[in-house]
Amino acid sequence: MPLRHLTPPCLLAAFALVAVGTLGLRADVDKAVTDAEGQRIAVIDRVRPAVVAVCFYGGEACGSGVLIDAEGYALTNFHVVQPTGSVLQCGLPDGLLYDAVVVGTDKVGDVALVKLLPRVPGKPFPFVPLADSDLVRSGEWSLAMGNPFGLSLDFTPTVTFGLVSGVNRYQPPEGKGTLEYTDCIQVDTSINPGNSGGPLFNMKGELIGINGRGSFEKRGRVNSGVGYAISINQIKNFLGHLYAGLDADHATLGASVATETEDGDLGRMVVKQILDEADAARRGVKSGDQLVNFAGRALTSTNQYKNILGVFPKEWRLPLSYRRGNDTKEVLVRLMGNSDAPVDKPASEKPAPGRPAPKGDGGPKRPGLDKSPAKKLFVEKKGFANYYFNKLRQDKLRTAVAKAGDFAPLAGPWTLDGTIELSDRRGDFKLTLIDGADGLTEAKIVRNGIEDLVKPLKSNAPLGELQLPQGSGGMLSAVYLYRKLLTQWNDGFEIGFDHGGHEPFYPPPANGKTAERLKDLRVDCEVVRAKHGPFEAKFYYALTDQSLLGCEVTVSKEEEPCELFFADYKTVEGRSLPHRIEVRSGDKRYAVLTVKTYTLGKKAS
Amino acid sequence: MNRLLLTAFGLALAALQVEASDPFSKTADEVNTRTVKLFGSGGFRGVANYGTGVLVSPDGHILTLASQMLDTSELIVHLYDGRRMKAVVVATEPELDVALLKIKVEGKKPDEPTGLDLPFFDIAAVAKRPVSTPGDWVLAHANEFEIAMRDEPVSVQRGVIASYSKLSGRKGIFDFGFTGNVYVVDAITNNPGAGGGALTDRQGRLLGLVGRELRNSLTETWINYAVPIGATVEVRDGDKVTSVSIPEFVASATAGKYKSRPRTVATAGPGGYHGIVFVPNVLERTPPYVEECEPNSPAAKAGLKPNDLVSFVDGEPVGSIKAFTDALRKTRPGATIRLEVRRGDSLQTVEVKLEDAPKPAAVPPKK
Repeated sequence: MPLRHLTPPCLLAAFALVAVGTLGLRADVDKAVTDAEGQRIAVIDRVRPAVVAVCFYGGEACGSGVLIDAEGYALTNFHVVQPTGSVLQCGLPDGLLYDAVVVGTDKVGDVALVKLLPRVPGKPFPFVPLADSDLVRSGEWSLAMGNPFGLSLDFTPTVTFGLVSGVNRYQPPEGKGTLEYTDCIQVDTSINPGNSGGPLFNMKGELIGINGRGSFEKRGRVNSGVGYAISINQIKNFLGHLYAGLDADHATLGASVATETEDGDLGRMVVKQILDEADAARRGVKSGDQLVNFAGRALTSTNQYKNILGVFPKEWRLPLSYRRGNDTKEVLVRLMGNSDAPVDKPASEKPAPGRPAPKGDGGPKRPGLDKSPAKKLFVEKKGFANYYFNKLRQDKLRTAVAKAGDFAPLAGPWTLDGTIELSDRRGDFKLTLIDGADGLTEAKIVRNGIEDLVKPLKSNAPLGELQLPQGSGGMLSAVYLYRKLLTQWNDGFEIGFDHGGHEPFYPPPANGKTAERLKDLRVDCEVVRAKHGPFEAKFYYALTDQSLLGCEVTVSKEEEPCELFFADYKTVEGRSLPHRIEVRSGDKRYAVLTVKTYTLGKKAS
Repeated sequence: MNRLLLTAFGLALAALQVEASDPFSKTADEVNTRTVKLFGSGGFRGVANYGTGVLVSPDGHILTLASQMLDTSELIVHLYDGRRMKAVVVATEPELDVALLKIKVEGKKPDEPTGLDLPFFDIAAVAKRPVSTPGDWVLAHANEFEIAMRDEPVSVQRGVIASYSKLSGRKGIFDFGFTGNVYVVDAITNNPGAGGGALTDRQGRLLGLVGRELRNSLTETWINYAVPIGATVEVRDGDKVTSVSIPEFVASATAGKYKSRPRTVATAGPGGYHGIVFVPNVLERTPPYVEECEPNSPAAKAGLKPNDLVSFVDGEPVGSIKAFTDALRKTRPGATIRLEVRRGDSLQTVEVKLEDAPKPAAVPPKK
């Protein structure tokens, strides 16, 4: 890197000039100016300890990062940790190198979460608070910090200072669908090779973004006055996934959307085509409909549409308003995955101002790497950046969930008695789950003299049977899985069981009315993804208290899942159980079960 | 539309509340309403088919640079509020390096009032203010790199005026006609598409038009400058030499009275066209490593490959990209040059038949 040798003398000269100038003027300078300068310096001093120099194992500089919690989790760019491999080292401004491991990745969004290992066990790390980057405005000041050109050998970060040049910027993907910068922050603050992954701060020292890209053309890959940072609000949407060790994916609506007319006023955004299997199509959106608002933001242009869509992980459900004729309707849409096949490598490495890095995994050949304690914190598994951290989140959740009571001994027959309210009538119900002599569980509900019975694991069970009662989408199968989760946790799901990061969940209002605005219903949840037999289930635990708010059970990908919403938790023999269960499928409420008694039998030994 | 207005109102309020710590958001918003995004011809081998302009009348007159982007019958304008309209060139003055455009409104003749009533910069008033001096803070507002479309605001950058002086541009190599004083800025403002953008003071008062992408012929460094609104040059009309300033040009052209003069074309070119793209030239003597060859270019046809190191041109050693560029200036289209190229451990001889530099395609813009 010959630039490293070129740059310091220039910088020194610049500093010298500034110093002389400042000293000479000091006496005449307006107090407001010196105050502003003092505040700026104070902010820089406060955040500096949390700025990370991301390095190959051994200490060779590769990029930048920033610590976001006391446990040592730090954000950086995906393209920074791509060359380092999963085990790396990070330098902090205390001058020390820390062993570190990649926790989670978002390749499309160019974000990675790494964890630094404390050198003294349990010692907290310095970290910075996250801002609300939706409040950032063009024309505001910003500070970028990091290790451009690998200049700093003692990991003291370089500070650059400049304006926010634009917000809500869209920059198309540079690789095969990866490194797409949506809704990003544009700055004239100097961003150079090595700044990648480093923090962009507002003048309060709050993190507003992660620097990762610039517009370069003929001037070479150095600052051109146009740098981009991934907004921290986008990263917040992915943070649950990143902490859970996932290799997160972005989303599509499953529809092509374009402006209705080219000329004249801002066009209306109209659906040109929509996939039959897209959830938006199931929710009633057709080609020709005008998309008005998505996730709380008005849709006015193609860039805006890509911006809004680009900040969410796949499978998130978000409110979408569309207009057909004079009617506007708001629906909750599940987003589809962006890339079916995971992309390992961007086709072009041109864009990223990451230091031109050696190709391939910089890991194995680095001396000492094999002995790194960080190696113990890495478990490879398909679909995950690092399964170790997924297991960690599962275990944390399990511990938190245990306060609802230990259901493991109660794996015997279950009986739920109470009243059921259907669309057209109400009455008593009895729901039983019994493990039969043939080893298969039998789920049965009797109400109004009608009986439905499902053996979820019976081979060749027709789809219609698994979805009983008719119209529920598979309530009996869902309750069967719910019991399995409570009594067996991961052991009950032989095909797959993992932590799915964070997703919004929308419990319907208890009074049965339709919510005025879907966003008012939103509760952010931790998700458990579980697979068993023919079923795929997602269980939603509130982030605030880890109470299980509901689940979604898919019997067949071609059909609407069955959704259970749990409420009115009461203690039954020291265990917390929901006494109101709303059952929904598609856009319809199938029933509300009000449980009077739970009879949970012990497992026959 | 209502929604848009509401949003704008909300933003203005927010700006007021945080004004003390945030002096430029409001300025950026205000200047943005007087700035347009332009789309024209080009889009070919590093020639941008987009640019920026400033509104200089409520009727939709736009002042911008006299660049090749205007060589089209289909100029497209995106206004700050997202309206997409067509525009025509009213007049150009290459000595000032400026052009005046007018927005076309459906159903109106070019010389009729458009009835648009747009926010604008009053050029005559601007020119009466004193020139800014070195050390003054400035803001550049332009659609560099085509980042913004429709209602997305143009980029704002901050810099300091480094000097107010004449440019030693690459005369004779690029068609840089303007010879008057310019504002040289310390920020990297002159990016692709930024030309014609607004250089303002911190209150958003117009000072000049952001200039072209230009490289200093002495140091090979890129230079960032703006043409001051008060700029005056001498123009030759037959035997008569008269002077014209930007305000005079704008006034006369707006009235439909300016005798337009064609853009001058480069007199001496950079030599024959080869199509080699070298690695970024960031050092004083960056070795001429090939980064890539433009598709179907002479270099591509001759089989040059990425990572080739060009060592000799017609037997003369070339140690840097600059030395290569200098050697090529002596060539012309049609000539064949012999390159000695280091590829891996071996030295190869490659003959490249130079061609005419490709012309920017005059395709109608799709933006």
